[in-house]
Amino acid sequence: MFRGCLVKTISFVGYTVQYGCIAHCAFEYIGEFVSCSGPSMEPTITNHDVVFSERVSRNLCRIQKGDIVIAKSPFDPKMNICKRVMGLEGDKVCTSGPSDIFKTHTYVPRGHVWLEGDNLRNSTDSRSYGPIPYALIRGRVCLKMWPPHSFGVLAESPNDGRIL
Amino acid sequence: MKTGRMFRGFFVKTISFVGYTVQYGCIAHCAFEYIGEFVSCSGPSMEPTITNHDVVFSERVSRHLCRIQKGDIVIAKSPFDPKMNICKRVIGLEGDKVCTSGPSDVFKTHTYVPRGHVWLEGDNLRNSTDSRSYGPVPYALIRGRVCLKVMRIQSHFLTYSLPQRPNHKHFEFELLPFYVVFINEFFFLKQAVQMILS
Repeated sequence: MFRGCLVKTISFVGYTVQYGCIAHCAFEYIGEFVSCSGPSMEPTITNHDVVFSERVSRNLCRIQKGDIVIAKSPFDPKMNICKRVMGLEGDKVCTSGPSDIFKTHTYVPRGHVWLEGDNLRNSTDSRSYGPIPYALIRGRVCLKMWPPHSFGVLAESPNDGRIL
Repeated sequence: MKTGRMFRGFFVKTISFVGYTVQYGCIAHCAFEYIGEFVSCSGPSMEPTITNHDVVFSERVSRHLCRIQKGDIVIAKSPFDPKMNICKRVIGLEGDKVCTSGPSDVFKTHTYVPRGHVWLEGDNLRNSTDSRSYGPVPYALIRGRVCLKVMRIQSHFLTYSLPQRPNHKHFEFELLPFYVVFINEFFFLKQAVQMILS
């Protein structure tokens, strides 16, 4: 009886590990659901929204300007950030605010991207911490799942004038 | 009628083969992701600790538990090319003061490593592009910690050593044959899986 119980436990653990690995690979290579918090992407994504972020673009290096991406925070390896890509490597980005008299620009280095939140007044992004390495990007947000009244594809950047 | 059944049998076998491949591919991928992987290093930047074409084993557990310490050799994704990996030693963690000037400079300059970043340097200081040229690297780019270096691959055993700093003695030990058979298969399975996934 004890032996039967042990065999059942081992096979249960085996099945759990097996399906856990398959689920992990699905999240890693296909996509995952992400719950966003914070005001930095309003009005496109508001606090407590749930979005679906796909991993295929990132693995094939097909992230483009204007995409909303989930990336690992450069200041805390356990936190993720959700921002819009405003510049790819080699692009010229505007680092001064809209109210500044003298416009300053910078070039995005190789292998990096420039991220900005849609809510420019209330967002810490590349304007404060500089461009982040492309390898920190986890996935591209393609669908908003919750709340149901705003289900669907996400809007374009409300700050179109900043993409040079 | 007979060929229909043959096709159906063949089809079912193909689907179950694909299913098993995906299943074991996922398990192998998770093993490489959460336990460790073999890495073949190239380049002169970590001599004499790790030379060109050395094979090392890098474990992932320290990285996931955030237990990387000063003096560890790490494999990290390159900040300038998301498809390349770099292998350097951690000289400073967040908040540490690191020296950015060379040994021959008259005025010593220092900088502090920002939060969430690490300062990497190769052991071969004269021939290494590292944080001294591109600045501190975010901790999240680190993939794993190098813990063992494969010294020799003979027909029945692999010899490992722990990579120490250049002035320390190498600590060699030999593994028992049955462990080695498992590790050999692991290595070849990973190469096979990489070929399938690429």
